[in-house]
Amino acid sequence: MKSKLALLLVIAMMFTLVVSGCTSTQTDAPKQNETPEKSETSEETPTNVDSVKVGAILPLSGSAAATGVKLRYAVEVAQEIINGDHPDIAMPLAEGMGLPNLGNAKIEVVFADHQGNPEVAKTEAERLIQNEKVVSLLGAYQSSATKPASQASERFKVPFVAGSSSSAALTQRGLKYFTRIAPNDDMETEVFFEYIKYLNEETDANIKKVGVVYIDNEYGVHAAEMVDKWLEAKYGAEGFEKVVSVKYPADVSNVDTEVQQIKAANPDVLFHASYIGDITQFVKKYKEFGFIPKAVVNYCGGFQDPQFTVNLGNDGDYFSGGAACTPQLFGKMEVVNKINELYKEKSGGVDIDGPALEEFASLMVIADAINQAKSTDTEKIMETIRTTKFEAPYFSTSAIEFDETGQNIHSASFMVQTQGTKYEAVFPVDVQTAKPVPFKDWTSR
Amino acid sequence: MVLQIISNGILMGFIYALVAVGLTLTWGVMDITNFAHGEMLMVGMYTAFWMFELFSIDPLLSIPISTLVVFLLGVLLYKLVIKRVLGGSGLTALLATFGLSMFLKNLAQFLFSPNYRYINGAIVTDKKIVLGNVILGLPQVVAAVGSIIMTLIIIYFINKTKTGKAIQATALNRDTALLMGIDTDKIFAITFGVSGACVGAAGALMSSFFPIYPQSGGLYSIIAFVIVAMGGLGNIKGALYAGLIIGLTEALGGFFLGTQFKYALVFLIYLIVIQVRPKGLFGW
Repeated sequence: MKSKLALLLVIAMMFTLVVSGCTSTQTDAPKQNETPEKSETSEETPTNVDSVKVGAILPLSGSAAATGVKLRYAVEVAQEIINGDHPDIAMPLAEGMGLPNLGNAKIEVVFADHQGNPEVAKTEAERLIQNEKVVSLLGAYQSSATKPASQASERFKVPFVAGSSSSAALTQRGLKYFTRIAPNDDMETEVFFEYIKYLNEETDANIKKVGVVYIDNEYGVHAAEMVDKWLEAKYGAEGFEKVVSVKYPADVSNVDTEVQQIKAANPDVLFHASYIGDITQFVKKYKEFGFIPKAVVNYCGGFQDPQFTVNLGNDGDYFSGGAACTPQLFGKMEVVNKINELYKEKSGGVDIDGPALEEFASLMVIADAINQAKSTDTEKIMETIRTTKFEAPYFSTSAIEFDETGQNIHSASFMVQTQGTKYEAVFPVDVQTAKPVPFKDWTSR
Repeated sequence: MVLQIISNGILMGFIYALVAVGLTLTWGVMDITNFAHGEMLMVGMYTAFWMFELFSIDPLLSIPISTLVVFLLGVLLYKLVIKRVLGGSGLTALLATFGLSMFLKNLAQFLFSPNYRYINGAIVTDKKIVLGNVILGLPQVVAAVGSIIMTLIIIYFINKTKTGKAIQATALNRDTALLMGIDTDKIFAITFGVSGACVGAAGALMSSFFPIYPQSGGLYSIIAFVIVAMGGLGNIKGALYAGLIIGLTEALGGFFLGTQFKYALVFLIYLIVIQVRPKGLFGW
């Protein structure tokens, strides 16, 4: 009896593991031929309402909760700026309370927790649209969760503005109600190669051999595909070659084997697509096994979380990655500095990071679109999102504008490198706060 | 290279084994599938973390503290929850422990935030043993040695002490044990407590190299279920051997077949074993 129970249990667990690891590729296709069940909200077009509901689907529990909670703080700051009176912040909707074109209606954010589970993300999106009557959605951080959630919003014809989900596949699905603020992994990969070329020129690093380390989910797998794409399309001809590709399970108890494989191939540069828990484990193991690459570049994920430097101290130095902001630039950017002050009140003094600022931007774009559309009609809001160039003084590019695929064409991301546990902007040169430093031996830090 | 992989696998195997030893006690003796086992491990890790943060007590020195804390937690959980569902169906107890698991995870997230924490600056941090081409992280070596010692203590306790023998008697037949004058209720409480003590020690040992966060016990718990079922329910030595098999399978399989398959291989081997020997490799 006990053995049978054991068998039953473990099969159930295996199923759970497999589902959580693979559902990013099993999500429903958009039901193009199905008559969409319209949100009741979209049928009403009030111009004066007390409040307008926006849904925020984030990983507030589960393995990505540490990041999800920070994203929630950022969305709450955006809500505070919109609903409160902040004349000192020079950005749309800060001065005055609420949405002026809708009788100063307040933005009410309804949060939902997808737990890092794509299936939950989908059902939460449906719940927010059908039960909570939200007029727009934002989220969901993990691309594997954003994918099914945005497909649900597409079916209901409700706009979905993703902040920090980076898988390029999200904007390659032909969805009409989906947009994304962050640069995608396709764009990031090209920037990474250009950054490495810059490193080769500036520091004689002679980086040629590329290693790819990625988590086995939508985010990681697609990032790895983009490395292959760019090597084949352009950078392979310039002398770069991939020498190792290591895919690790989404939930991992140790990374010893992974690091041994990497060390055996001895790549010059590692392209990492990892979340905060994984990347920290990897760095500790790189140190333990004495693996010293010439550079490590990180896709939007764990590296950008300030907890990376908190946990690793100087061992976390000389890692690079794309970011939408860095505290080192706050002195030059007054608006983001003020946003950061509000954010720190919620985060207990931790600075806002790139993914959090991108989720902040999601709500600002949605609120701005509702205000400019002067309506809560989801079709009109989406039309405004698609056709408007939004002011975004909190980004280095100062603007957000979406192309026909829904991708923000004013990529706000630049390369940062950890130096002395600070995120210094290192590339492109015009935003540079410090010169990039070659990766140093673990003992000389 | 292969030697390095084998070494890593053995070290991880011992750590898995200690987590599984605790589980095999409750599963084998009480016939309770404790889904909160991973969360008890998490409590052990947090205990070591806060001892270090608040009182600068090294994780190695806080092993007795976290062992005691999780032992008491185990007894408390038994008295408050498990005892009340023992007479019911297996599903009731299973759901109760599942609820406990959710409660402990969310409580940890509420109290300590979901941030990933590390203990930096422990005695063993960043130290390693180099044997030719093989590099062994000292935290893992210490954790493995600690696991072996703790497992031996549990084996001694179960086989040589009066209470241990009472636990074995209760595991064999609760009603007969009761007729023989054994206070089975007390035995169950102790068993749950000892199970907690195992993961309390494991948590402190792991806290110097594994991230500490509310879900940190989850994967270890799942692997422990496989080890227990493979090693035979209630069989402590079986858990030790099965832990080693799982550790080696994960390391070698991951290296040669692809790291993305390492857990799939673990479960595949388990399924094969359960078909060939339904009572586990070392079951009785």
